[in-house]
Amino acid sequence: MADPKELMARYCDGEAGAFRELYALVSPKLYGYLVKMTRSKAVADDLLQQTFLKVHRARAAYVRGADPVPWIYSIAHRTFIDDVRKGKRAKVGVGDTDDLPEIAADLHGEPADRKDEPRADPELLAATLDALAELPEQQREAVVLTKLQGKSVAEAAEIAGTTVGAMKVRAHRGYEALRAKLGAPSAKQSREAS
Amino acid sequence: MTDDDLALPDFAPPPMAKELEAELGSLEPVATRRPVRQLAIVGIVSLLYGGLLLAVLSIRRDAGELPVEWLVFGGLAWFLGFVVPCYLALVPAPGSMLSRRRLAVTSAIVAAIAFVVMGWLVHPHGPSSEQYNAERFIQGHWCLELGLATALVPVILGAMFLRGAMPVGSRWIAAALGAGGGSLGGLVLHLHCRITDPMHTGIIHAGVVTVAALLAAALVPRATDVR
Repeated sequence: MADPKELMARYCDGEAGAFRELYALVSPKLYGYLVKMTRSKAVADDLLQQTFLKVHRARAAYVRGADPVPWIYSIAHRTFIDDVRKGKRAKVGVGDTDDLPEIAADLHGEPADRKDEPRADPELLAATLDALAELPEQQREAVVLTKLQGKSVAEAAEIAGTTVGAMKVRAHRGYEALRAKLGAPSAKQSREAS
Repeated sequence: MTDDDLALPDFAPPPMAKELEAELGSLEPVATRRPVRQLAIVGIVSLLYGGLLLAVLSIRRDAGELPVEWLVFGGLAWFLGFVVPCYLALVPAPGSMLSRRRLAVTSAIVAAIAFVVMGWLVHPHGPSSEQYNAERFIQGHWCLELGLATALVPVILGAMFLRGAMPVGSRWIAAALGAGGGSLGGLVLHLHCRITDPMHTGIIHAGVVTVAALLAAALVPRATDVR
């Protein structure tokens, strides 16, 4: 697998292909993070593009030899926060249904552009995403980064611009709240039962 | 529930936007950030600027009447108050791009408190020194202005170098830069101002660090954010 440090260095040297490789390497996980944070693929699409545009414009800030991934995540985090604060995502009403584009679908009615997505138990997926969406923003981010994105607490704290201690607390509280929402026993109850 | 139960699938990301593709079409090599070199530039230019200010304003008239140890160690403390927060704000840990904001802001807080204590408790004076005390305390505001003017150079340079480098925690890093700049202001005042009462040195001279940190935290992130 390509090394993000090497790709970033080549990209800063003017190699556009290296940026495309970096996008291909980082965007699946980053997009997953944004979808789980926003609960909207359309918003996540937009935020992902904004994030990489900012990465492109700030590429001179790269320090050779450093891992660019936490920095890219930080930009995504900041872009998401700015988006929430602006509240610019006004609900858009569709006035004329004739204007709606026709969406290609397969024989089972599944949209064609989602065929490449990995399959999961749809009920569990929906329940988990619903439960995640109900968490406070900071706890949701802590759970998404530490439990779903596989980041260490230190990495997650760096991305979110907080301390390791605060991130631990947010992740723990978020995880416990998520367990409660999904009807699973809490860690304490599990320990007591065993 | 285990972590595996939470293992949601990743989603297929969209292709790159046309705007981004267009920008890649005219991609030029860029000079990447070199933090240690930037720290050296901030340090040298700021010290030269501080030296220039001192040359224009003159060294304090009571310098020869004060203990040399106090002049030297006091100056060294102000110098460290300048270098350490600037170092932590500008130079990330090896292998990382993001500044050490927690350490940087801790060093800024330590500097802000330490200089108040130092100014309040240790303030030798000679026959040529002046004492404003509470009665004329407000007349000492010129020192705050001079200190803040000195802080401008390291803060502006640091902000230029950090553009795009701190998507999160930029206020903390800016506060550390401000505290570093304020400490340089304190160094200039230490060598220039002959007002030696504890209120003046403990509140106004040391206050430069806090005020510069707060102003930098409020203003610098607007200049460093990437839009």
